[in-house]
Amino acid sequence: MTLAILVLLPFLGAVLPPLAERLGASRTVLSLSAALMPALALVLLIGPAGAVFDGQTVHALVPWVPSLGLELAFRLDGLALLFALLVLGIGLLVILYARYYLSAKEKAGRFFAFLLLFMGAMLGVVTSDNLLLLVLFWELTSLSSFLLIGFWSHQSTARKGARMAMTITGMGGLALLAGVLLIGQVVGSYSLGDALASGDAIRASGLYPLILGLVLLGIFTKSAQFPFHFWLPHAMAAPTPVSAYLHSATMVKAGVFLLARFYPMLAGTDLWFDVVSLAGMITLLWGAAAALFQHDLKGLLAYSTISHLGLITLLFGLNTELAAVAAVFHIINHATFKASLFMAAGIIDHETGTRDMRRINGLWKYMPYTAVLAMVASAAMAGVPLLNGFLSKEMFFAETLESGRLGAMSWVLPLGATLGGVFSVAYSARFIHDVFFNGEPVNLPKFPPHEPPRYMKVPVEILVALCVAVGVLPSITVSGLLAVAASATLGGDLPAYHLSIWHGFNLPLLMSVVALLGGVAVYSQRNWLFRQYERLPEINANLIFEGRMQRLVRAASALSDTLRNGSLQSYAAWLLALVALVLLVYLSPAVLDGQRQLLPLDGVSLLAGAMLVVAALITAILHRHRMTAIMSLSAVGLVVSLAFVRLSAPDLALTQLSVEIVTLLLLMLAMYFLPVRTQMESGWPRVLRDMVLAVVIGGGVGVMAFAMMTSDFQSISGYFLDNAKSGGGGTNVVNVILVDFRGFDTFGEITVLGIAALGIYALLRDLDLRSASSDSLGRPWARDAHPLVLVTISRPLLPLALLISVYIFLRGHNLPGGGFIAGLITSVALLLQYVASGVAWVHRRLPGDYHPVVAVGLLLAGITGVASWFFGHPFLTSTFDYLYWPLVGKFEVASAMLFDIGVFLTVVGATLLMLANLGKLSMLDDKAKEGA
Amino acid sequence: MEHLIIAPILIPAFAGMLLLLEVREHQPLRRFTGMLSVLALVPVALALYQQAAGGEIQVYRLGDWAAPFGIVLVLDKLSALMVLLCTALAVPALLYACRADDKRGANFHALFQFQLMGINGAFLTGDLFNLFVFFEVLLIASYGLVLHGRGPARVRAGIHYVVLNLIGSALFLVALGLVYGTTGTLNMADFAVKVNQLDGGALELARIGGLLMWVVFGLKAALFPLYFWLPAAYANATAGVAALFAIMTKVGVYSVARVYGLAFADGALAGLGRDALWVMALLTLVLAAIGVLGARRLGEVVAYMVVMSVGTLMAGLAWATPESFGAMLYYLIHTTLVSGGLFLLADLVARGRGKLGDQLVAGPAPAGRAGLGVLFFIGAVAVIGLPPLSGFMGKVALLQTVPAPLYWLFLLGGGLLALVGMSRAGSTLFWRATGDGAERRVDRPRLAATLLLLAAAPLLAIWAEPVLRATVAVAAQWAQPELYIDAVLGGGV
Amino acid sequence: MEALVAVMIAVLVGTGVYLVLRARTFPVILGITLLSYGVNLFVFISGRLAVNQPAIVGNGPASDPLPQALVLTAIVIGFAMTAFLVVLALRGQGETGTDHVDGKRDDGGEG
Repeated sequence: MTLAILVLLPFLGAVLPPLAERLGASRTVLSLSAALMPALALVLLIGPAGAVFDGQTVHALVPWVPSLGLELAFRLDGLALLFALLVLGIGLLVILYARYYLSAKEKAGRFFAFLLLFMGAMLGVVTSDNLLLLVLFWELTSLSSFLLIGFWSHQSTARKGARMAMTITGMGGLALLAGVLLIGQVVGSYSLGDALASGDAIRASGLYPLILGLVLLGIFTKSAQFPFHFWLPHAMAAPTPVSAYLHSATMVKAGVFLLARFYPMLAGTDLWFDVVSLAGMITLLWGAAAALFQHDLKGLLAYSTISHLGLITLLFGLNTELAAVAAVFHIINHATFKASLFMAAGIIDHETGTRDMRRINGLWKYMPYTAVLAMVASAAMAGVPLLNGFLSKEMFFAETLESGRLGAMSWVLPLGATLGGVFSVAYSARFIHDVFFNGEPVNLPKFPPHEPPRYMKVPVEILVALCVAVGVLPSITVSGLLAVAASATLGGDLPAYHLSIWHGFNLPLLMSVVALLGGVAVYSQRNWLFRQYERLPEINANLIFEGRMQRLVRAASALSDTLRNGSLQSYAAWLLALVALVLLVYLSPAVLDGQRQLLPLDGVSLLAGAMLVVAALITAILHRHRMTAIMSLSAVGLVVSLAFVRLSAPDLALTQLSVEIVTLLLLMLAMYFLPVRTQMESGWPRVLRDMVLAVVIGGGVGVMAFAMMTSDFQSISGYFLDNAKSGGGGTNVVNVILVDFRGFDTFGEITVLGIAALGIYALLRDLDLRSASSDSLGRPWARDAHPLVLVTISRPLLPLALLISVYIFLRGHNLPGGGFIAGLITSVALLLQYVASGVAWVHRRLPGDYHPVVAVGLLLAGITGVASWFFGHPFLTSTFDYLYWPLVGKFEVASAMLFDIGVFLTVVGATLLMLANLGKLSMLDDKAKEGA
Repeated sequence: MEHLIIAPILIPAFAGMLLLLEVREHQPLRRFTGMLSVLALVPVALALYQQAAGGEIQVYRLGDWAAPFGIVLVLDKLSALMVLLCTALAVPALLYACRADDKRGANFHALFQFQLMGINGAFLTGDLFNLFVFFEVLLIASYGLVLHGRGPARVRAGIHYVVLNLIGSALFLVALGLVYGTTGTLNMADFAVKVNQLDGGALELARIGGLLMWVVFGLKAALFPLYFWLPAAYANATAGVAALFAIMTKVGVYSVARVYGLAFADGALAGLGRDALWVMALLTLVLAAIGVLGARRLGEVVAYMVVMSVGTLMAGLAWATPESFGAMLYYLIHTTLVSGGLFLLADLVARGRGKLGDQLVAGPAPAGRAGLGVLFFIGAVAVIGLPPLSGFMGKVALLQTVPAPLYWLFLLGGGLLALVGMSRAGSTLFWRATGDGAERRVDRPRLAATLLLLAAAPLLAIWAEPVLRATVAVAAQWAQPELYIDAVLGGGV
Repeated sequence: MEALVAVMIAVLVGTGVYLVLRARTFPVILGITLLSYGVNLFVFISGRLAVNQPAIVGNGPASDPLPQALVLTAIVIGFAMTAFLVVLALRGQGETGTDHVDGKRDDGGEG
């Protein structure tokens, strides 16, 4: 459990600094609050660390998402311990350093919060005992790195650098996730322990190359290996404590950590050797060479970091146990000397105001103490004897000599290693000589520079002291830790090796000497080299990457805009084309296998049908002539109503007819505001395309209709015919279905009508059409006065129509009719008054707001439905009884009739709400025009 | 309480009706009624979920008519989950809208309630034609809501949305004609039984009917090539409406799941349109990711993320194993809540930037930059699917259960594109900002509504196990259509 | 008779499809209306054709009442939708100053 808490601590700690900042704590208190949790974690680590040195592996497991195989499982073995020490130890030093580095204006609370977030994530990566958990923390390190690189968000370089790092490492993270999931598939578990034990199964699996590729993609992006190295120099836009911590000592080591962690699982194959060592070798050389040519202090260190990461990768790639030991050793050494160098660079930047080595010269005079520290660390980086870098570099040289994989080409490895060493010495020499000697400073923003605050140097001192201690007395200082870490890496016993400064005169020593001398020689020729370098075309990864990204974004925009081109015609065409495709592919003559007896065709029907066809075609062809189109559309509607009459559906015919009239009124009212003619819009190709769609879909639906009509089928409708009278109390089965069997549909449907009215009201309420008396082409609006004939006919019609409505309503349950139709007839009669006599006339006589009518109608329907609960029945259960009414005679009263009254009211209210407001609009318009 | 099942439909319906009676446009009273309704839905939805989780499928026979003759409501785990999700989204969405947006046009509150009625009805109904009716209820209400407020951009997007859906409704009717004309029934369970007894021409017609349903549901869900209307409609809608609409696409997904699970998982038309849905889902996924990358407004970014989630979900559905369906449901919960929250957040950002709104160009820092920045970061991490939030859990679950290389490639690659797009958007809005809007405060209730939704990201991650167990249980029930059919038809098949 | 009805449906749906693909709001309204006529007829005939057999209990053989009820519902819903679309077209005209479905002004500007 200690382990789980240990990892949790930095996350908890991330809350403290912002809190302290808010409480107005001083910078020192703020920094202390940041340091509190890591320090505590370091203390807590002592216990388990002892166990690790005793050869145990400490585990902790908190269940989290077993369904996914994701557990809060932690393990502390030697490797994890080593990294935990690095993360916490260097982390604490960085916090101390940052206390002095950040200026008073900066939001230190936020900075420390991000830093601690990262620390927790990194601690999670190194201690995870679950592969998915590892990926989770892995991505968290990328995210916190994104925030830290972008900390100075006002700087364009910081934003771009952050995004670039996020993109590259994010890509790697996703690949790693895929790789881990595949490992899980092969192993059958996401436990790291299980996976490590299943190395042979994984290597034997057909998925191995894919797994390796995906995992390596994650590793190489994170550890800035060629060809993904380019993000790291641009991450240097981050504040220097971040560079020291994330981008040299820890986060970029997550990649090589994973090489170590997965070593027993994935290493040992030729594929591993080829890919890992090749990437490592290229990175080593490329980074080392590029480092020499950087004028930016941090740039030099960044490329040097890339180079050293390449060295470590190469070592792991060599597939020998000793090489792996050397790699682990170099991880330790690099973390110490590089973090101290970054801190020194930060101090120099801080004191001089620049990082340009062409301007910073001769600082020895101004800050000798810092100079000594930096020089020692640089020497360690160069691999000078008596310093830690020398030891691991010796081991590295030795291992390159051992590998036999390349056969006759084996000399390539030591040659490359030596060459890398040469450049490493050269840029280290440059760091020392250019900065501290080489004449006088040139035009520094801050002059004269002096030594930094006392405690800002402490972290550097500690790290440099470690470099020396390890370099001089390796067996006392580091060998224990290295042994446990290396044995955890190899997952077994350690090979025999000996940490000492002096191994006698041998080939590795010679290589070291060559590297030292060669490095100095190269550095001495620097001016010539720089001139050659400047002739090369400048490659700015930031510009290139950003340029590519912008091109990608533009291409994405262009593609999106092409698909989503803002044209309804094209969207509708996609939809209808999909339908046409379905019909073309699946509609076959096989559907026409029906045996049903056909009905004879009579002349009247044929004539009516022909009329419909002609009218529909006229509507389509002459749609630009508004009046004609509306008239022919009405003709179509009329024939459809007639068809319903002919085909035994009187209710439908009545409904269709009344809807037809209301729609016609609506269109007439609306036309008042629309251009009288529609523009010719479509070119021939589009017309042709649309015709094809029309023919395919129309034809297809027609064929399907024919197929259905000509085949027999079994349906549930017999039940309705049998039960309408006995169960629903009505003889008009259609009406009983509407108000009883499927009353819920009707409930929904009148709601739709009501909502449509609401929506229309909302659309019309603040609509301003007055200004638009003609459209942008100057087509005039139609104008008409209220025709006298209509006025004289319509007024007496109203009471008559209302009477008819009542009749239709009452008989609805038994004969064609019902609430709908009655409602529509009433509406039509009322609307006719609007059309004939004008809105003002009607409004003097009727309420203006129809919202409550709709509401009452819906409520009536709804409450009728709910009422059945009180009789112990579900919603909308009807009951009925027979009454004897004078004149009408025996009459059945069903609760469904109440429901139907609700329908009636809703229909009237909704229709009037829609049309009356449209009418009101025209009234306003009239007034406006008269006024003008 | 046997009638509780209809409450998610009736509560908003009656609330909507009462809101219509309130003619004086007294806004506080309207807000109170609306909030009361959605808050009343919370315990109802929870109780229903509790009930369904027990494993029994409740069938509510409207009008007391037996299935397949009358209409039934069916409460199984899937419908209960969807109703609960809708409720969870509705509360913050309405809370947000109540801060002022509801005054920008008439009848907002009534439309909002009817919208909920339609959505819940669609989730609960066990009848295909009734599903059509509820589709129409939710559509007509959504037309009103999409157009709520003013401005040409909204109207342009609205016309597209309305016309396409009207065509969709016509297609739905054709499909229903085919359903009835071949099987002679409209009840979903009965249809599932009868469709397997068809042969010859009738079977072919039923096949086309099913495929047409996929087209209609695909339009609702916004699958390629039917999603083009969505970004403009959602990005231009009022924030509360856009947030609520995060569930609208899921109505389409749900409908496919429901009909497919019952009728086409097995039998004569087994796997109907699965391959097509799969291909469309993958194309949706990648094209929406490209859309995220190329978007010019934050609202569009989020809208494309919604489309992307539809691709992700539909692929999980088309894979059609109980495991993938369970994973898909987890992702569905996550994406609905988080993208709803992001729509609200986009509005908060736009409000704090004055005339620039949510356009992705450098400008003044939005009011409350630090806080909104943190929220954006959390929302972005979640919606992209990075750890440690809900999106990551959902993606891992889907990757584990849909082991298809192409899906992995598109899901992970799409995630990368979304990552690039989101980081550009965030960097432009929050980092490249001039000045600091620290003095201007973000409206508290709006912030609270946004937080409520975005809180889903960490909460769903922390309790990923119970949630996943729940969705897997839903999926297990979904994968046994006979349970549903027996419950509806009383076992007397 | 069946063939005639099938042709009617085909023509209605076909002309409807053609018109909804036009660029101005008015023809789109016409198209939606025609399309719903066709579709309603299609749903109606899914109960098969019958002449002189209204679904009234006690009048001898009856036509299939269920599709009729469905179509009735569909007609009303269709009416509501058409009405909404018509008013939306007006709104579009008012806000964008054009009757183009994409709100494109004829003078080339965005409405």
